[in-house]
Amino acid sequence: MVDATAEPQFLTTARDRQRAMVEEYYAGLADAGGPKKPVAYMLVGGNLTELVRSFGYEVVFPEIVALNCAIKHVSLPNILHAESQGYGLDVCGYVKNDLGLQELGGQTPFGRIPPPDLLVCSFSGCYVYVKWWEALAEKYGCPLFMLDVPYMRDDPPLPEDVQYIVAQLNEFIALLEKTTGRTFDLAELKRMLAHSRKAEEGWVNYLASGRRRPSPIEAYFEAVFYMFPINVLRGTPAAAEFYATVNSEVDERVRTGTFPVPEEKFRLVVEGVPPYPSYRTFWDFFRKWGAVSVAATYPKVGGLFDRGFLHDPARPLESIAEYSLGAYVNQSWPLRRKLIEEYVRDFGADAVLIHGIKSCRSFTAGQGDLRDRLIHDLGIPTLYIESDHEDPRYFAPAQIKNRMDAFFESLDRRRGSTPLPLVTT
Amino acid sequence: MGEELGATDIVPSLEVSDTFEEFSRAPSLEALIQLARDVVSDPTWPTVRAWTRSGRSAVGCFPVYTPQELMHSMGLLPVSLHGGGESIEISHADAALGSFLCSISKSTLELALTSRLAPFRAFVFPYICDVSRNLEGIFPRAVPGATTHMLHLPQNFHSAATVPFLVAEYRRLISKLEKAGGEPYRPERLAASIELFNRQRAEIARLTEMKRLDPGKLTLTESYLIRRLGGLLPREVHLQVLERVRGQLEERPSRPKDAIRVILVGPFCEQPTLDLLDLLEQVGCYVVDDELLQMYRWYDPIDPNGDPLENLATAYVRSTMDIGVRATPTTKGEAILRRVEAAPAQGVLFLTAKFCEPALEDVVLYRNALDRKKIPYLHLEFEERSAAYEQSRLQLETFVESILFD
Repeated sequence: MVDATAEPQFLTTARDRQRAMVEEYYAGLADAGGPKKPVAYMLVGGNLTELVRSFGYEVVFPEIVALNCAIKHVSLPNILHAESQGYGLDVCGYVKNDLGLQELGGQTPFGRIPPPDLLVCSFSGCYVYVKWWEALAEKYGCPLFMLDVPYMRDDPPLPEDVQYIVAQLNEFIALLEKTTGRTFDLAELKRMLAHSRKAEEGWVNYLASGRRRPSPIEAYFEAVFYMFPINVLRGTPAAAEFYATVNSEVDERVRTGTFPVPEEKFRLVVEGVPPYPSYRTFWDFFRKWGAVSVAATYPKVGGLFDRGFLHDPARPLESIAEYSLGAYVNQSWPLRRKLIEEYVRDFGADAVLIHGIKSCRSFTAGQGDLRDRLIHDLGIPTLYIESDHEDPRYFAPAQIKNRMDAFFESLDRRRGSTPLPLVTT
Repeated sequence: MGEELGATDIVPSLEVSDTFEEFSRAPSLEALIQLARDVVSDPTWPTVRAWTRSGRSAVGCFPVYTPQELMHSMGLLPVSLHGGGESIEISHADAALGSFLCSISKSTLELALTSRLAPFRAFVFPYICDVSRNLEGIFPRAVPGATTHMLHLPQNFHSAATVPFLVAEYRRLISKLEKAGGEPYRPERLAASIELFNRQRAEIARLTEMKRLDPGKLTLTESYLIRRLGGLLPREVHLQVLERVRGQLEERPSRPKDAIRVILVGPFCEQPTLDLLDLLEQVGCYVVDDELLQMYRWYDPIDPNGDPLENLATAYVRSTMDIGVRATPTTKGEAILRRVEAAPAQGVLFLTAKFCEPALEDVVLYRNALDRKKIPYLHLEFEERSAAYEQSRLQLETFVESILFD
C-alpha cells in the first residue's frame, strides 16, 4: 500500500498560477456590480461566458462559489440557513449553499460575492437550474434570460436543435445591447472564441496524457484544480497560457518519472461529482491503494472538449450553440454510457468508480443502471458509492472506506500477483 | 435486464370488455367510482389489455404533459403512467435508479423491470425534471424492444423560435411512433383529435368548476378518479363518461359540512394515495382547486383550423399554466395569491412528493408570498407506499382547527 498521509503532489508552477488566478478573480468580483462593471450570474453547463464578457459583464458562477465553499468547509452554515428558509433536506446542495449565502450577505473566505445585475439561465443538463434561477429572480428582480438548450439525444446534434439555440442567442444579444447600451461587437466575440479554442486545445492535451502508463496526471482529484480557467476564464489569453504551463509540467513529470501516484497499481475511470467537503479524505482512500483516475466525467461538465468539439471563431454563434448542447450532463444516458465505455477502453482502465450525489438527480439518477451495464454486460469491475457534493452530513468516511478497501482488495485478488505491464506511450 | 427479471406471478385480476361499455353504462355514479378505483389500483393495466387485444398499440406517457392528441390521431392509445401506486413492492428499481429519488420514478421502473409494462409498444418521457429525463435513458435496457422517446419540452416561452422548435420535436416523436404501431401522421386526423380533446378538457373544466362552486357535491377522491380515467380509457369513452357524470352530479344533492376551503399544491406529477386524498376531506378540508392531473387542464381550447401541429405546439408554449415544471421567473408569488383569491380559499395545502425537487423549491417562494399576506398553509410530504397517516392526520386536524376557530 502507498503512504496516503503524504501530501498529494501537484504541478508546482501551474498550481501556484491557478491559486493566483482564483484569488485575482474573486478580488475582481469584490469591486463588481452596478453600471460600471455589471455582474451576470451563469451556470457552468453550456455557459455563455465569451458572449456575456464581450458586453463587459463580470461573470459569477454560483456552482463554483458553492464548491469553493464546500472544499473550504464553510458550506454547512449556508446550507443550514437555506433550510431555515424552507429549502428541504432533499434540495440540491449547490442551490442551498448559494441561496443561504445570498441571504447571509454573500461573504465568503475568498471574497464577497456581488449580487446579480443579470441572470443567464443556460438550461443545459440540469432542471434544477431553472428552479434556482427562478428563486434568484424573485429575490433580486433583475432580468433573467432563459437559454433553452435541448437535451442531447443525437451525436452529432440535429440541425434544428442548433438553429433553435442560435435564434435564442440572437435574442439574447438584443437583450444585452439593451441592458448595457453597447452594440454587439462580433470581432471581439471572435477574438474571445479564439482564446477559448487555444485554452481548450491545451486542456484536451492535458486530459489525453491520462492514456500514458503510468499516468502523469490524476484526471479526477488533481484535474479539478485545473478546471477553473476552462470554465471561468475561457475567452481570456490567461486561460490559454495557463494550460501551456500545465502541459509543460506534465511533460516534465514524464521526463523525470514523477507521477501523481508513485506506484500506479489501479487505473480508474471515475464518474460523478466529487464529495467536496471531504475531498482530501476521499482522495486518500484512492491513494493508499495506488489507484489513479486516468479519465473522469466530472471535469467535462463545462464541455466535452476531449471528444472533438472546440469553439470555432469562424462560426461563432453556431459553435456556442453546439458547445451548450454538448455539456456532459446534457448528454442522454446512452451517450454517457458510450463515453464511459470508451474511456475505459482508450485509457486502459482496470475499473470504474461511480460517486453518486444524494442531492443531484441530474448526474446520479441512472448511475445504478450504468453499474449494472458495466458489470454484467461488459465485465468491468465497478463500485458505486454515495455521499454529497456540498453537504458534509452525508459523507460517512468509515462506510465509504470499507467499501473502497473491499473493492480494491477484490481487484487485487482478481489480478493475482502479476504486476501490470508498464508501457509508456 | 427486463427479460432476466420477467415476472411470472403477474395474474391479471380485472378484465375490461373491448368496447369499454361498462364505463359508459355504469348503473350509477357510485358504481362508476368503484370501477375507476379498481382500474386505477390494478397494476396489470386492464384497459390497456382490452385495447391491445385487437392488435392496436398503446403508448405509456410519463407525467406531466405529453401531446396525447398527436398519439390519438395516429390510432394509438395514450396512457398516463402514474407509477405503481400502493400495489408495487420496489425490489429492483432502487439498484438501477438510486436511492434518493421519488417513488413514481422507482415504481415506474419497477413495473418495467418486472414485465408489467409488456402491453405497451412505446413510452414517452417529457423533460419535466432530471429524473424523468434520465429514466428514459435507462428504459431501453429495462424494456428491450419497446420504443422510448425523451421529449424536450421547451422552457423559453418568449422566443420566436420556440414554437418551430417544438413542432420539430413533435415531428421527431411522430417518426418514432410510426415505427411503434402508429398509423402515418395525417393533419386532418390530428385536427379531429384536437376537437375531441377540446371537448374532454371542457368537460373536466366543468367537473372541477362544480367542485369549486359546490364542494359538498362530490368528494376530492371522486373528482380525482373520474379525471384519472381520462388517461386510461380511449378518449371517446371517457368523454361519454364525463357527459354522463355531469348529468348524474346535477341531480345529486349537495352534502355541505363544516370545512375550510383550501387549494392543493404540489402533486402535479406523482400522485398521492387514494387514502391520503380521502383523509384531506375527512379532517375538514374542501379542496376547491388542485394540481392533480394537470394534463387535462393545460390549455384553453385549441383552434382545430390551420396547421394542427403548429396549433398544438403553440397551445403548449402559450399556456398560462404555472406549476413547478414550467419556468415562470418572478411570477411564483403572484401566481399562488391569484389562485387563492380565485378559488376563493382560506388556506393552502402543500402536498409534495418526497424528493420532488421542482415542487420543493417552489414551496419556498409560495410560502414567502403567503406569509406576506398572512394566508395560512401546511406542508406535507408523501410517498406512493405510505401506509400510516396518523402524523399527517394530526397536522391536518390542527391546521383545520386553527382556521375554523380563528
